[in-house]
Amino acid sequence: MVTLDELTGLGLLQKPSEDAREPLERRESNYHPLNTFALPKDRPYKQQFADIYFLRLTKIKPAVEEHSIAAWEGTVLGGERAKKVERVLDVRQGELCWVVGTVYMDMPLKPSILEDVSRDRWISAPMNIDKYYSNDGSDSVMLEDDSGRIRLVGDSLKDYFLVTGCIVAVMGTENANGEFDVIDLKFADLPPQPDRWSLSSPPKHQDVKMTGDPSSSPSKKIAIVSGLEFSGSSTAYTTELNLLLEYLLGETLGPNEQSELSQISRLILAGNSIAEPKEHLANTLPTTKPTDTKENVLLAKKPFAKKYGYDASSYNPIPSQLLDTFMSELLPTIPITLLPGTFDPANASYPQQPIHAAMFPKSRTYAAIPGTDEKPGWLDTVTNPWEGEIEGWRVLGTGGQNLDDICKYVDSSDRLGMMEAMCRWRCSAPTAPDTLWSYPFQEDEPFVMKECPHLYFVGSQPEFGTKIIEGAEGQMVRLVLVPSFSATKEIVLIDTETLDVTKIKITA
Amino acid sequence: MEKYMEWLANNVLIDDKVVSYRVLSRALKVHVNTAKQMLYEFHRSQNAKHAGTIHATYVVYGVKTADAQNNGADDDVEMAHSGSESQSIPDVVPTYTLSLVAEEHLKDVLAEYDEVSSIHIYSVAPRPTKDITLLSDVATGIEGLSLEEHDKKIVPITNSRVRRRERKAAGIRAAAAAAPVKNQVEPAPKKSGPVPPGPSKLREELKPDPTPPKEEKAAAPEKPAAAPVKKPAPALKRGASSGIMQAFSKAASLPKKEKPAETSIQPLSDDGEDDGEDDEEMPQPKPRAKAGVKSKKEREEELRRMMEQEDEVKSEKAESEEPEPMEEEEPPAPEPVKEDEGPSEVAETSNGRRRGKRKVMRKKQIMDDQGYLVTIQEPGWESFSEDEAPPPQKVKPNPPPAAPAPSKGKKGAAKGQGNIMSFFSKKT
Repeated sequence: MVTLDELTGLGLLQKPSEDAREPLERRESNYHPLNTFALPKDRPYKQQFADIYFLRLTKIKPAVEEHSIAAWEGTVLGGERAKKVERVLDVRQGELCWVVGTVYMDMPLKPSILEDVSRDRWISAPMNIDKYYSNDGSDSVMLEDDSGRIRLVGDSLKDYFLVTGCIVAVMGTENANGEFDVIDLKFADLPPQPDRWSLSSPPKHQDVKMTGDPSSSPSKKIAIVSGLEFSGSSTAYTTELNLLLEYLLGETLGPNEQSELSQISRLILAGNSIAEPKEHLANTLPTTKPTDTKENVLLAKKPFAKKYGYDASSYNPIPSQLLDTFMSELLPTIPITLLPGTFDPANASYPQQPIHAAMFPKSRTYAAIPGTDEKPGWLDTVTNPWEGEIEGWRVLGTGGQNLDDICKYVDSSDRLGMMEAMCRWRCSAPTAPDTLWSYPFQEDEPFVMKECPHLYFVGSQPEFGTKIIEGAEGQMVRLVLVPSFSATKEIVLIDTETLDVTKIKITA
Repeated sequence: MEKYMEWLANNVLIDDKVVSYRVLSRALKVHVNTAKQMLYEFHRSQNAKHAGTIHATYVVYGVKTADAQNNGADDDVEMAHSGSESQSIPDVVPTYTLSLVAEEHLKDVLAEYDEVSSIHIYSVAPRPTKDITLLSDVATGIEGLSLEEHDKKIVPITNSRVRRRERKAAGIRAAAAAAPVKNQVEPAPKKSGPVPPGPSKLREELKPDPTPPKEEKAAAPEKPAAAPVKKPAPALKRGASSGIMQAFSKAASLPKKEKPAETSIQPLSDDGEDDGEDDEEMPQPKPRAKAGVKSKKEREEELRRMMEQEDEVKSEKAESEEPEPMEEEEPPAPEPVKEDEGPSEVAETSNGRRRGKRKVMRKKQIMDDQGYLVTIQEPGWESFSEDEAPPPQKVKPNPPPAAPAPSKGKKGAAKGQGNIMSFFSKKT
């Protein structure tokens, strides 16, 4: 409870003072992006997707086995000793055993490529189903590997999130119906976590190290914003966007807060910076002026000329222009990492490749010159998912599609729990390529988490959330659900020393 | 009254504008924080004179009370708990709220706050702000300002580490913008430029014909003809025909020195065509000291010779029958050179073989001192030998049906691609 009277005459609510205002210097960002999810420019798309599952199983299986052996080796149930079975097909009825494989969810509501093919539909449209999960028990969980597939049953399955593509070890017996009755279930758990500053070198002046002395120097912060959704038609929250801009620039607020704001050393735009395109109104034809050149008149004559089903006249450049302007105002004082999201002008399939800097005529001068590897650009347009090291912390971030897709598989809205599950599965996009469109990888499966991030954020989420999870080997991961700014008007600040999270809400 | 008061009075009271602290700071080149205080002082003093003349909006920043914070979030949390899974409990994090409120609601909003760490006036206006979203219009107006001059006096936070890449393209783009205009304006001068009498006629005929087979033909005669007229440069004829024409004009332009100024202004028009205004400079081509390049006179001379010979050949052809249509097409150009060989040929005959050397024109591509590829022709000697006893020279162009293949090949090669001659000519 604050009243105006208490504040009047203080700070900025007083006559202009002539005290010298020293400009604050924004703190330096120690930034080391990784190219984990970058695809070659000349990638072919002819391969089959099966290799992704194979690679994933091969990569994660050893870790899962290790955990299972530790947990189940020597387990005796009902006078029977559990033994390890190499392949799913080797499971014998009635024998207590455990086996490692890939989960496959068979769900009637889930889009199925086989169905599409059998119906002679060769092009699949993006799905807009909210949930694949159905409550009527028609969903079933399978475990498969390169040898075969077995259906999993048992109450213990309900205790875990399970989605297509995650690697699990199950212990139990095959029952009379040929189903595998699961008694217990294990994941790979958190991968090994690199030390801080494993890729980059810490700043020379070590005053901000974790000395536990907060007075030495305030710690730097990272700002994460998702879902700016610059729109060509809606101006509903333009004021909030302006306030956000002024906030990040440090122009708003008083001197104390400004010096805090100068600690924000990097801005991450985590997906959906551009709004979902609205259906184009067919009758918004461009009107020709008499002064128009010949070419323009020609163009105007056939406004419905479509190429490959694309109506060029429906192109609205305003959203990207607004985003460009927004970034170009911020860039002089703060470096930006830009991840694409569902609606952004990047490829639709995971991993999304960087938004081309040509989209941003004003901001692109801050981007790295293509083909030079020296330093990451001041404006760094990166992949989604993206991995890198900021202030020494390993950071993994996505635009949100991976989590949104997992959400459709389960009867829950516990998104933090699903994020945690992803870390424990060691897979940042398990549902690719089943329901999350993905590039058909052949040699590498980049979604497998080889190293445990310190900070894992997921953008474009309905609401904010954060928590810390811990692993058996002392790993600690800060999970952050970055809310969509367009919906919540919230942004997230991460302290780069403690990984503490602060939420900023902007209302107008 | 201080300067800012005047400015604000003018803008707010007289011009009836909404003024935000950003606008004010940029207009008066003062620090944003000073601008905020100026707005406050203006608001206070004006309202002291006449209450209610100035209406302000405030920015409030701080921590809201728990109740106020939960107002929005509560429903979501409830829903989440309905899930069957054991819910992960999210950490509670400090939340700061930045509010932009109209003066009328300031009291209510402040009541929601536990702690206000910062408050200042955002904007002043001559009437109450009904819809706060309208303030975004004020903000958009200053985009340009804030971009151009990043004045350290105004902006509270700066970053000296900012990296921008050099805009190498800027110059080019400017030139490109300028160039096309120029070119459009001046197509005429080019065509009707100083056209030298005799040879130029030929050039005019040849020029518009861009088909590949003719290229060789055109190239040879053109060189001398074009010399006086042509200048490197213009982006003029950038169209379909320019590809080939460029090559010609390149060769033609050899004797001239390109004006450095020209190239620096028009980085894009390096396709070797003329720019129209260069024509003035034409009359005094500066000879370029280059091996294998003949003087203008020489080349004119040569051209004349070629022309005569060509005519000769043509008439010959006409009267002496035959050849496959192809031959008709191809040989004409090389012919002149070939016939040339008569005088410039040193041959001896032995064993029914004719051997010797003859003078031919060879094409040569070189890179000139500005990095352009230039095709020039230079005379050279090549050795040859033939099976036949020296047939009367005239017969050569139309050899007996049996022979045509080799001789044709030779000819074609000689004119077209000089180097390949070595393949056809028999080495003794």
